[in-house]
Amino acid sequence: MIKTAKRYLRLYKVLIAQFFKVILQSKVDFLMGLLGFFFTQFMGIAFLYLVFQQIPSLKGWTLEQLIFIYGFAQIPRGIDHLFTDNIWMVAWRIVINGEFDRYMLRPMNVFFQVISEKLQPDALGELLVGSILVISSLVKGIVVVDFEHGLLFVVSVFAGALIYTSIKLFFASLAFWVKISGPFLQVAYEMADFAKYPTEIYAKAIRFIITWIIPFAFVAYLPASYFLGVGGFLGMNSNAVVIGIECIIAIVFWIVAYAVFHKGTMIYESAGN
Amino acid sequence: MTKKLRIYIPFASNELKRQLAYKGAFYLFIFISLFGAFIQYFLWMAIYGSTDNASLGGLTQNEMIVYVFMVYVTSSMVMITISDWVSEDVVKGMVAMNLIKPIDYRASLISRAMGQAVYRFLVPGVFIWIGLEIYKVKVLGMSVTSITNILLYLVSCIMSFLICVLFDFCFGMVAFFTTYIFGMLMAKEALMSFLTGQLIPLSFFPGIVQKVFDFLPFSSMVYTPVMIYLGKYSGSELYFVLGRQLVWVVILYVLGSIIWKQVTKRLVVLGG
Repeated sequence: MIKTAKRYLRLYKVLIAQFFKVILQSKVDFLMGLLGFFFTQFMGIAFLYLVFQQIPSLKGWTLEQLIFIYGFAQIPRGIDHLFTDNIWMVAWRIVINGEFDRYMLRPMNVFFQVISEKLQPDALGELLVGSILVISSLVKGIVVVDFEHGLLFVVSVFAGALIYTSIKLFFASLAFWVKISGPFLQVAYEMADFAKYPTEIYAKAIRFIITWIIPFAFVAYLPASYFLGVGGFLGMNSNAVVIGIECIIAIVFWIVAYAVFHKGTMIYESAGN
Repeated sequence: MTKKLRIYIPFASNELKRQLAYKGAFYLFIFISLFGAFIQYFLWMAIYGSTDNASLGGLTQNEMIVYVFMVYVTSSMVMITISDWVSEDVVKGMVAMNLIKPIDYRASLISRAMGQAVYRFLVPGVFIWIGLEIYKVKVLGMSVTSITNILLYLVSCIMSFLICVLFDFCFGMVAFFTTYIFGMLMAKEALMSFLTGQLIPLSFFPGIVQKVFDFLPFSSMVYTPVMIYLGKYSGSELYFVLGRQLVWVVILYVLGSIIWKQVTKRLVVLGG
């Protein structure tokens, strides 16, 4: 058991070394990608700023609080984006053109092989914006700082990233049945944009979907409001239970997604000729 | 003139056919971009619900709803990305082929973009537009948009389309200098969604910034036609904004020609 873990760790180290070589080799591309993501996020903040020139608060939320939610949302998204970007390729390409054969032939965990094929440096743009916004919120003192919140912050960020990964893996795995599942994955992934703002502003149906069906609200808005020490959820007032539910969702979604993925690899048939 | 048309019309009709062939991808695009429009809609409803002012940035809540969805219709129609095609042609070495053919490369790209614009007008555009008009009259209790405004809007849209593609052609020239324009495209799109008024009406910006926008081509791309549709311009102001669009078409046309000449002069095509 420990031996296997060590082996995988060693393999991953080799991969990360490759990743740094890629960055060093194409510095301009790397900077462009970073800038692209950075700009996109920055515009979202500028939008909020302009709107708040006209109104004192949005349904009781201040500009600073909304910026924190917005920034916090970027961190789990960025972590997932950095490590598991290759899942997109499963959805669009790897299954339909038979490249998946390669993974099946090696004596290694298939999922590990899929994600270890690529690290996505563009994700650093999201992580950078997210960290800047969260740190500036800490400086402003609008975030609750104590041991409990600090610990749960770390837990929540990783649980959130796992929810992202699970949703991606689930929809990408459909490719084993429908061959190209990119469109489904894309639609599901874009739903995350809804959770950058307090979900109270949406119609009931949308709120239900992003809370319970494709639970991005648990990645962004709900944990963020817990760290702000505001916002009620199911009648509870900014309660650590939110993070607990987030973890349960993360684990359940992960088990389901991984089972579907595993089942998919069982029925996978190569492109053939 | 008719000879010219005969040459370039196939570019447009082929693009139209290509779009029809990949319907799946296109419906996906509509669906996802509608997400954005609905997020905007709910956000603005919450924003108007948080203030006692009847109008923000010169728009009432109902006008804002029209604004959000007309921006969606207009931008999906006029904002055609041709720099993608340029970069593809450069990477694949197709530019050389295009240079030896007796056609104008830019005109062929614009014709192709025209085909796409027509398709986007037909598929999501018209339906959302009609839906919006019905919603406007039945639910919001506003009156139907006048024929004059609709015609002026369409005229303005044609110029917007030209401004967008001519601008994007200039931007696409970057592809001759670097092969990875994905990051730049993202940065450009983010910046443009702001400067064209897609994200927020330009009237929300501080006065001094708006003055700067008056001297940039971006406000003529989306903001102008939508504000015309809303009937926000009258009399001489209307002529002024339409005239400004025309001026930008001419400026960007000339600028594109100059850049193109410079670029092709230093172009090196390998192999062949």
